[in-house]
Amino acid sequence: MDVLRDQNWLLSLGTFLPLAGVLIIMFLPKRDEALTKQVAVITAGATLAVGIYTLMQFNYDETSKLQFFTSHDWIKPIRATYSIGLDGISLPMYILSMLITFLCVVYSMDHVPNPGNPKAFFSLILILQVGMAGTFIAQDLILFFVFFEIVLLPMYFLIGVWGGENRQYASLKFFLYTMFGSALMLVAFIALFIVTKGNSAEGGSFAFAWFMEHGPQVGKTAALWIFAGMFVGFAVKVPMFPFHTWLPDAHTQAPTVGSVILAAILLKLGTYGFIRIAIPFLPQAAIKWAPAIGVLAAIGIIYGALGCLAQRDTKRLIAFSSVAHMGFVMLGISSLTPLGVNAAIFGMVAHGLITGMLFFVAGSIKERYHTLEISRLSGILKQMPHLGWIAGFCAMASLGLPGLAGFWGEFPAILSAWSPAQVLRDNGHWSLFKVITVVAALGTVFAAAYLLWLFQRICMGEPNPEFLDAAHRSNHAPAHSLSAAANDDHHDEVRIYDVNGYEWASWAPLLILIVVLGVYPQLLFKIFDAPVTQLFGIFGK
Amino acid sequence: MTSSILVAAGDFVRPHVDYHALAPEIILGLGICLVILVDLFLPERLKYLTGQLTGLIMLAAVIPVVTLGVIGDDVRALFDGRYVIDNFALVMKGVFLLSGYVVVLMSANTAEEGRYHQGEYYALLLASVTGMVMISSGRDLVSMFVALELLSIPSFMLAAWRKRDRKSNEAGMKYFLLAVFSSAVMLYGMSLLYGISGSTLFTDIAQSITGKGQMGAAQVLGVVFVIIGFAFKVSAVPFHSWAPDVYEGSPTPITAFLSVASKAAGFVALVVLIFVSFPQAGDTYRPFLWVLTALTMTIGNLMALRQTNMVRMLAYSSISQGGFVMMPLVVAGRGETDSIIRAVVIYLIIYSATNLGAFAVVIAVARRTGSGEISSYSGLLKYAPGLTWVMTLFLASLAGIPPFGGWYAKFGAFRAVLEAGGGWANSIAVIAAFNTVISAAYYINVMRQMWMRPAPEGDHSPIKVPGALMAALAITAIATLVLGILPGLTNGNITDLSGAFLIR
Amino acid sequence: MLGFPLIRYAEEPAAAAHAAGWFLDHAWLIALIPAIGFAIILFFGKKLPFKGAEVGIASMVASLVLSAGAVYQWIDLGHDAHPVIKTWTWWQSGGMQFTLGQHIDGLALMALILVSFISTLVQIYSVEYVRDDRRFTHFFASLTLFSAGMLTMVLAENMVQLILGWEIMGLCSFMLIGHWWEEKANSNAALKAFWTVRVGDMGLLVGTAVLFGMFHTFSIDKINNTVAEGGGFSKSMLMTAAIALFIACIGKSGQFPLHTWLPDAMAGPTPVSSLLHSSTMVVAGVFLVARIYPVFHTGLDINVAGQQFNLIAVIGGITVLIAAVLAFVQNDIKKVLAYSTVSQLGYMMMGLGVGAWTAAVFHIFTHAFFKCCLFLCAGSVSHTGSHHSFDMKADMGGLRKKMPVTFITWMLSTAALCGVPFFSGFFSKDEIIDSAHANHYTVFWVVGLIGAFLTTAYMTRATYLTFFGQARGAAAHFVHGDDHADADHHGAADSHATDDAHGAHDVKHSRPLPFAPHDSGWLITVPLIILAALAVVSGYLNAPAFHIEKFHHWVTPHLINEMVPEAPVFKWVNALPSIALVALGFIVSLAISKAVFGSEPSPLKGLTKRNSLLGAGHRFVANKYYLDDLYEKVIVRSIAHPIAQGAYWINQRVIDATVNSVGIGGRKSAGWVYRNVDQRMVDGVVNGSGIAASEAGESLRASQSGKVNQYGALLFGAAAVGALVLVIVNS
Repeated sequence: MDVLRDQNWLLSLGTFLPLAGVLIIMFLPKRDEALTKQVAVITAGATLAVGIYTLMQFNYDETSKLQFFTSHDWIKPIRATYSIGLDGISLPMYILSMLITFLCVVYSMDHVPNPGNPKAFFSLILILQVGMAGTFIAQDLILFFVFFEIVLLPMYFLIGVWGGENRQYASLKFFLYTMFGSALMLVAFIALFIVTKGNSAEGGSFAFAWFMEHGPQVGKTAALWIFAGMFVGFAVKVPMFPFHTWLPDAHTQAPTVGSVILAAILLKLGTYGFIRIAIPFLPQAAIKWAPAIGVLAAIGIIYGALGCLAQRDTKRLIAFSSVAHMGFVMLGISSLTPLGVNAAIFGMVAHGLITGMLFFVAGSIKERYHTLEISRLSGILKQMPHLGWIAGFCAMASLGLPGLAGFWGEFPAILSAWSPAQVLRDNGHWSLFKVITVVAALGTVFAAAYLLWLFQRICMGEPNPEFLDAAHRSNHAPAHSLSAAANDDHHDEVRIYDVNGYEWASWAPLLILIVVLGVYPQLLFKIFDAPVTQLFGIFGK
Repeated sequence: MTSSILVAAGDFVRPHVDYHALAPEIILGLGICLVILVDLFLPERLKYLTGQLTGLIMLAAVIPVVTLGVIGDDVRALFDGRYVIDNFALVMKGVFLLSGYVVVLMSANTAEEGRYHQGEYYALLLASVTGMVMISSGRDLVSMFVALELLSIPSFMLAAWRKRDRKSNEAGMKYFLLAVFSSAVMLYGMSLLYGISGSTLFTDIAQSITGKGQMGAAQVLGVVFVIIGFAFKVSAVPFHSWAPDVYEGSPTPITAFLSVASKAAGFVALVVLIFVSFPQAGDTYRPFLWVLTALTMTIGNLMALRQTNMVRMLAYSSISQGGFVMMPLVVAGRGETDSIIRAVVIYLIIYSATNLGAFAVVIAVARRTGSGEISSYSGLLKYAPGLTWVMTLFLASLAGIPPFGGWYAKFGAFRAVLEAGGGWANSIAVIAAFNTVISAAYYINVMRQMWMRPAPEGDHSPIKVPGALMAALAITAIATLVLGILPGLTNGNITDLSGAFLIR
Repeated sequence: MLGFPLIRYAEEPAAAAHAAGWFLDHAWLIALIPAIGFAIILFFGKKLPFKGAEVGIASMVASLVLSAGAVYQWIDLGHDAHPVIKTWTWWQSGGMQFTLGQHIDGLALMALILVSFISTLVQIYSVEYVRDDRRFTHFFASLTLFSAGMLTMVLAENMVQLILGWEIMGLCSFMLIGHWWEEKANSNAALKAFWTVRVGDMGLLVGTAVLFGMFHTFSIDKINNTVAEGGGFSKSMLMTAAIALFIACIGKSGQFPLHTWLPDAMAGPTPVSSLLHSSTMVVAGVFLVARIYPVFHTGLDINVAGQQFNLIAVIGGITVLIAAVLAFVQNDIKKVLAYSTVSQLGYMMMGLGVGAWTAAVFHIFTHAFFKCCLFLCAGSVSHTGSHHSFDMKADMGGLRKKMPVTFITWMLSTAALCGVPFFSGFFSKDEIIDSAHANHYTVFWVVGLIGAFLTTAYMTRATYLTFFGQARGAAAHFVHGDDHADADHHGAADSHATDDAHGAHDVKHSRPLPFAPHDSGWLITVPLIILAALAVVSGYLNAPAFHIEKFHHWVTPHLINEMVPEAPVFKWVNALPSIALVALGFIVSLAISKAVFGSEPSPLKGLTKRNSLLGAGHRFVANKYYLDDLYEKVIVRSIAHPIAQGAYWINQRVIDATVNSVGIGGRKSAGWVYRNVDQRMVDGVVNGSGIAASEAGESLRASQSGKVNQYGALLFGAAAVGALVLVIVNS
């Protein structure tokens, strides 16, 4: 695997830059919250700037090669190296994580949830960013594991400290569930290392390249077991049915930006793991597992949709919709075709943008009405036209309307599921996958059902009278000082005001991207098509 | 009669003594006397100087350790290989001395404000550390047993140091009695070994302890009883019952000392015994160790889950951590010796740093809340953010979450075991994997108290952490973090026990 | 972003061979312009002098001009022209290029000119109709986006692009039906429309997937040709694709059994009904069938010898009849027209089903004009005739004198719809019936005839109720009517489910009250007149009666020509039955209407009340054959409530519960271990190793703790046990 090494300081800079911000914030006086926020925004902005520079320096004709590649000895005794590199598959998620983090920080400028304490809040978000970005560029299994785990604690605290009523239960569940997954995953990683090491002279290595080379020779039973270990680790993160139950609680209880980051990036760590690690390292096991994954994905699609239909809480509904959408992503992956995996990666990005956006909207609704009970909300379109239309737009994008980003995650996945990889067809799984395809198509109908039903109930119709006077009380957005006071007094009285400056600033990029990627998907497909084709060509078209 | 003695004395040749190799022990020995002497002439208000003196002595003792290490890994065997200074020994000596130093730092204020008899306190601490420094070199039943008692007996007294506190006295008493029992068992085993091999030298014993089949009951009893003796020291289930009560009763710095240093000493002895004197008896003790490890990890965790007292929780958690240290030994003789010993040593290093740090925080917080209850940590983030972050760091490290040291320790243990392969190894690895999750539960619980629970009523002014304690915190925190991010530092030839085999 | 590739422009060699002419080469602009127009209206509409209407109309006019030019050049090329195909890379996967482009041939051009023309008129009409509406700008934005969507679909070079346009139309119909979403009924109708169509779209997705699996391309041209050449693909697979795709067409074109959304869609403003739900969007399904006709023709074995039935024809036939019958029991003039639309779409499907490709497509063409005209007439009536009401029985009657223009245009279009000879409908519909006969689909020939009879009958009824008899309700107003009476009707109007008025009401009455029924302004009448004129003449593009077959030559591709049987030679004899039935239908229906709705007393009045059998029949029809109940009350509710709830229950009580119970179990067992094993088990051991315990006990009196002896016992006991076991094991 040849690599491009020029400017190989770039990735390290982009990944660890947020830590600088954290250090500064640590030494800021607790009183001066405005300063803390500014530092946070500047750090996140700088990180994003580095990301955009990376985007510009990236060589789009060599997307299947690792670029900005660098590799140093890290832990000699276990042959773990600090190797990072960026190829077409990593690039979109890497940049997305930076973008989302930045937007979340911007959004939090006047939305620091109770109980305040921006110092800790922003520090955690920035640390989280390090973990997320690192996971997507790691080219060494141990490094990957470390980054993969780093995101755990900050998210735990974000949910547990700044979350909703039931936050402690939700956060604990999130933590232990993921911990459980990653414990087995670690065992699987070590086992894979030991199996591949064999008696080879070099004495093995944890570098991805090594596993790409030696993984496929692993014996069948060993491969199946190791894949199982990784499967649990990643499936919990995705989350796949039946490992999904931590998700609704975590999402529902998390603070707005927590849900956004969780939906937009953290879930993708799992699917990324499948695409980058589990399947390419152990193709022979992947072939055996693919049908199971496909079935679980299909179940997840329908099951998540049904879950949505049963919800009374907006945020919980969106959370369940994540289960359904990630089901489509896994469906694409399970087909083992380049088309399917392309769809999956596109779906990852699209779901990140759209569902992230939906959570932003839900958060802002909660901010104003202090409730997300579907039955109590109505007529948002009338009270806050902009917010209402944005909600409608996101709903349409989320149900996979062509011309918006969501469609390109779903439709190609369905295509690929109907004609899965040659090996799967040869192993006699074709008819199974046909059934799965039809089920998935049914899922799109359900998606339309729950999203539009939600939209109708909360946005259309006449506003709920209990909130009418509130609308008169403040038909103009309150002055948004950066002081925590502004945040606190939001929380006693209902204040109805349409989308404000910070919200526009943090939402506009997402909205624009949803349209642009929907209208011209090539922007994204072009980036990861080549590497995906290279990785998944082996299974046959 | 007397003549015969004289004859014997006559052909007594003075053994060659390598003073450089013995320098640490000598420094410590002199240090003990010095502390006692100084203590005699110090007025009450200057007694705290004894503490600082002790610290200096320990640091001084580190110097020869370093020089020996720098000079290179040529093994120095004294007294016909009964006392060996090899890299393994050096590393462990370093660990003991440094953790001893941290304990001194932690003790400073406690001892002063507790109106302890500081001189004696520090003298005993030094004595105990000396014992540890010696045990890591002992390659002979006698030298090892002497070292063991030297490190144990002072700690009985230290455990009971809070004279006016019944719990403390009780702790000392219990510790003493149970230690005596275990010593009895161990001595019985040792005498059996001696009887079998006709020698107290480990390498000789190794000759007579052969593989499965040709081992008589005597051999088995010898091996098992000796191992049990040290299993007690490392408080492995079911020989752990003393630990929680003693930990809870003793002064907190001593608890830290016991849960880290003396546990480590026990493991050092175990490693040396297993690899030097019972290399072929693996089939005999492997199942035994497997059971001990599984029980230790699981029971320790389950019981830690239920604790409401911080120290008690840490006590049980340290029991289960002991299980992780012991895990690689289960595959001794099967897996790669290097990675097994490396796993144990690294685990001990990282665990010492982390656990000492955790106890340092406990001391710091207790100075404010005066309570050891976990619930008293609620809302710590409000008025002691610094301590909260540091404690989070230590707990996360104990739970094995990257990038804090703990993950690498656990990683090493897993790797060593999985390398060996086979049913014994894989099963224990899976058990350990589940145990990491259980342990996470109670560490997380403390974090929840600190981060998410509202602070109780009362004084919310920031906690003042005295300088010494601050230093202790800094050392341990930095060590934990650095070892987590750059575990490569522990690379190096630290696992060479070859010294033991020189004399064949 | 740097480094990204610019759009790659790849021209098909076939098309490159002969320069087709600027308009044909740039036909894609026709769809692009409205799309841009939509964006402009959306972002700047409110600031513009005419609130964005001008942008909408301008873009539609531009499209109209372009498509007119394209049509001219196409005709110029003569009728052996190849389709003009252009493709751009849209996205790529594994070397496969997925393209965006244009596929211009007679069919596409027919649809293009049709859509752009009708959209233009409707938008002009709307300026007057929804004036002062709260969401005037939104309305025009949606209309324009809709046209863009339809044009995109018509232009589509491949299935994906087709899906794109298809779904955008769905979105627009959602937005436009629910235009007055304050009313629950309206938003319900919008959701119903979107969901029903979406159910069909399942078929579209799956069908496309199947086709892609078979041919590894989305290109309509390639697919058509491959299928036409035949061989190299599995027949059963093709049938799967055909059925799946046809399900989509059923949903979109309101065919039985998914037709129920269409009448509810009348909740939207009248221009919407007229544009989307009569003349353009709903024919998308028919268009799709016509577009990839080879797939259906081969997949469903249309026109094979001795075939009496096939899926398309059957569905079409059923739709013709059931919809026509439903039209009889409607009081809402728009719903009459809606059901008439459904049944006419049935005709088109049936035509395609029996292999009368040209006739069916031609019926799309003619039907668009007169149906659009009829809807606009209805709108005009409610606008200035019945004060926003659509209830024929309550608020209309005798309007012919008061609104002459509306009346005349209505009559002309009705004649065309009924298929009165020499009106456009006659030439298209009769051709379909005729071909059914000629191609030996006798059943569908009969169905067609009955349909013709029913059509005339219900149109006569509607016409009588609206324009004849004496004026009722709002229609009865005269200049100095009293506000009070008006207020009543006003209330009545409000309570009416499909009431256009709200937009106007909420912004204070735009029209002064009291008012008298009168003809609408020129913005409304001019489109009416143009459309009526076309309703009369458009038929002469393809009037076999006079041996005119221009439409056939321009529109029908060779591919289809070779596939379907030759169109029958027109004989008046064959046309007689239908003409006769039309006349009969007129007479009968007129008589009955007079009797039932007229002023004179008659035995027929309230017959359905008296005669139980007829009553039952009436109820059955009035309830739309209980199909809606089946869908909404049974299927939807069961999914939305028991099933979803059940799934969620499983989630919480089974899956999640296991997770929690693991946690709780962990804590519980921990507690148990701590209490029993760690703190008490030792007692057991004490008894086990009694001596040790007692000795220890003796010696431990000094200590305060009762535990030490137990601990000691445990220590010794465990040591003993361990030793014992190992000794046994090892020797």
